[in-house]
Amino acid sequence: MLRSSLAMLGIIIGVVAIASMGILGNSIVQAVSSSLSSVGDSVIVMPYAGGSGFGGGASSANLMLTEQEYQQIKRAVAPNIAIPVHSTSEYMTMGVGSDNIVATIYGLPPDQTKDLLPDLTAGDYSNGNSGCLVGATFATDHNVKVGSRISVGNDGQYGTLRVTGIIKERGMSFDISTDNAIVVTQDWFESTYNDQYQYNEVVVKVANGDTADVKTTIENQLNRNTREKSVTVIDSKATLATIMDTFGMVTTFVTAIGGISMLVAGVSIFNIMMMSVNERIKEIGIMRSIGTQKREVMSMFIYEAAIIGVTGSLIGGALSLLGGYAISALMLKTTQYLFTLPTVFSVVEGVGFGIIICILCGLYPAWQAANLNPIDALRHE
Amino acid sequence: MTPEALPGEDQPVLVFHDVVKVYPLKAGDVTALNHISFAVNRGEFISIMGPSGSGKSTLLNLMGCLDTPTSGDIFIGGIRIGDMSDVELTNLRRDHIGFIFQYFNLFPLLNVIENVNFPQMLKSRAKVDEKKAVAVLRAVKLDEHLYVHTPLELSGGQQQRVAVARALINDPDILLCDEPTGNLDSKTGASIMELMAELNRNGTTIIVVTHDPRVASYTNRTIQIVDGRIES
Repeated sequence: MLRSSLAMLGIIIGVVAIASMGILGNSIVQAVSSSLSSVGDSVIVMPYAGGSGFGGGASSANLMLTEQEYQQIKRAVAPNIAIPVHSTSEYMTMGVGSDNIVATIYGLPPDQTKDLLPDLTAGDYSNGNSGCLVGATFATDHNVKVGSRISVGNDGQYGTLRVTGIIKERGMSFDISTDNAIVVTQDWFESTYNDQYQYNEVVVKVANGDTADVKTTIENQLNRNTREKSVTVIDSKATLATIMDTFGMVTTFVTAIGGISMLVAGVSIFNIMMMSVNERIKEIGIMRSIGTQKREVMSMFIYEAAIIGVTGSLIGGALSLLGGYAISALMLKTTQYLFTLPTVFSVVEGVGFGIIICILCGLYPAWQAANLNPIDALRHE
Repeated sequence: MTPEALPGEDQPVLVFHDVVKVYPLKAGDVTALNHISFAVNRGEFISIMGPSGSGKSTLLNLMGCLDTPTSGDIFIGGIRIGDMSDVELTNLRRDHIGFIFQYFNLFPLLNVIENVNFPQMLKSRAKVDEKKAVAVLRAVKLDEHLYVHTPLELSGGQQQRVAVARALINDPDILLCDEPTGNLDSKTGASIMELMAELNRNGTTIIVVTHDPRVASYTNRTIQIVDGRIES
């Protein structure tokens, strides 16, 4: 009994290892997938800076996309929308006596702002140059509501903007990261920073065709000079797929590490089944002599291994859910992904693997028991 | 295929015809049985006697279909067992042969009723008849209050009675006994042999392998075997 319990403990640990790794990995994949903004339909064009990069409009200070380049992009991607984006970092204050903060300001054409930022949690899009949108985190951190006023620049040198709307939280995104930023009109940005006819990036929203094809079209148009590129073009769909694939590979790898502990448990099962057969040689001889078939003897030992496997795996599965809950709460600060299909499948996978390993490791001992010579077995002391 | 019941009272229930059994060993082949021929009729009570190493156990194993001859023929109820597969031989043991061992060989974790029912369960789980187990236990004169005890809680004589009951539960045609009193005191051994004599009077064919003349005295025929050959 003690021996079987210890072997079962090995199975429990193995199942917990596999299932928990799977739960954690799948939860991370889902968390990243949902936190990455729904930009699977975007192609981002940035000035070439000697290497690829993506993010909220970051670029070398001296590298900008020209108006001519923007118009080339616009023609090349038609009928898809090409949105020019200004961006910079600026001091801001929320009211008299409040501390200066530094945040990103994006300048977007007012007629295309809704294409890039379709979801607001409060208020509306700015109609005039004195209005702005703020990101969800910005609003929360600085207690900003619709109607609040933001002074832009050191000592408000660039004037005051009225908050007209709050942008829905977008998380990390490839095009622009608005959660901790404010969005103003293109006119306000250009007149304030004297920044006409050059842009930090252009975001193409692909409604017609494939993002990969649009990327190729832009590169063919703007990077004709093979010796020196003009722009860097990022296909967000492809990048997202690569990120997901990478996470998937990492999940598989750590789950495989968990599988090693399951194999060790399987060896333990094999060992105790062999011991069980050895201890019951005479009993097997008696059974065979009074008419028990070989297959019945074999079944008996396979059932024994299966019972250990099923019991241990089910306990391990239950514990892995508890463990997964704890890990998700601690590391991801959320447990919303715990009962999704991929994470539940991890548990099923762990339980199934545990049962299969047990049965497989019980096969040889069972076969050996069934094929004992009854005469020799009866003589066994 | 095994017959449901072995045929005819006019036919020997067991026939050995020129049987040879050789054990191939590294040190040289050992001939355990050397052209053995004999027959056992239905209802006989036979003892097989011989010194140690004479071939008694080999003979018992062949009669019990636990082994097959090197040459010659063995017939159980007219059926030649040499052609049977392991599955068929096992079915034959289950349905037509009852074994009683010197050291009882009961299952230690099962109680008396469960031990006796075990061969029935091999036939069919659905057809386990507890009333039959009780009837057989009464026939071997085991006290009823012992039915729920495990073998370790019984005396040697009581255990052997349970073993006899287990051997009888499937109504075997032949009861094979290997030194049934070898592990019992003389008084208990005598009571076991009296039980067997009563079973034989009721029609059970019993073959006892023994080296004890007192056991052989209960039987009505003795086959003497020496150096693998039948002397008488």
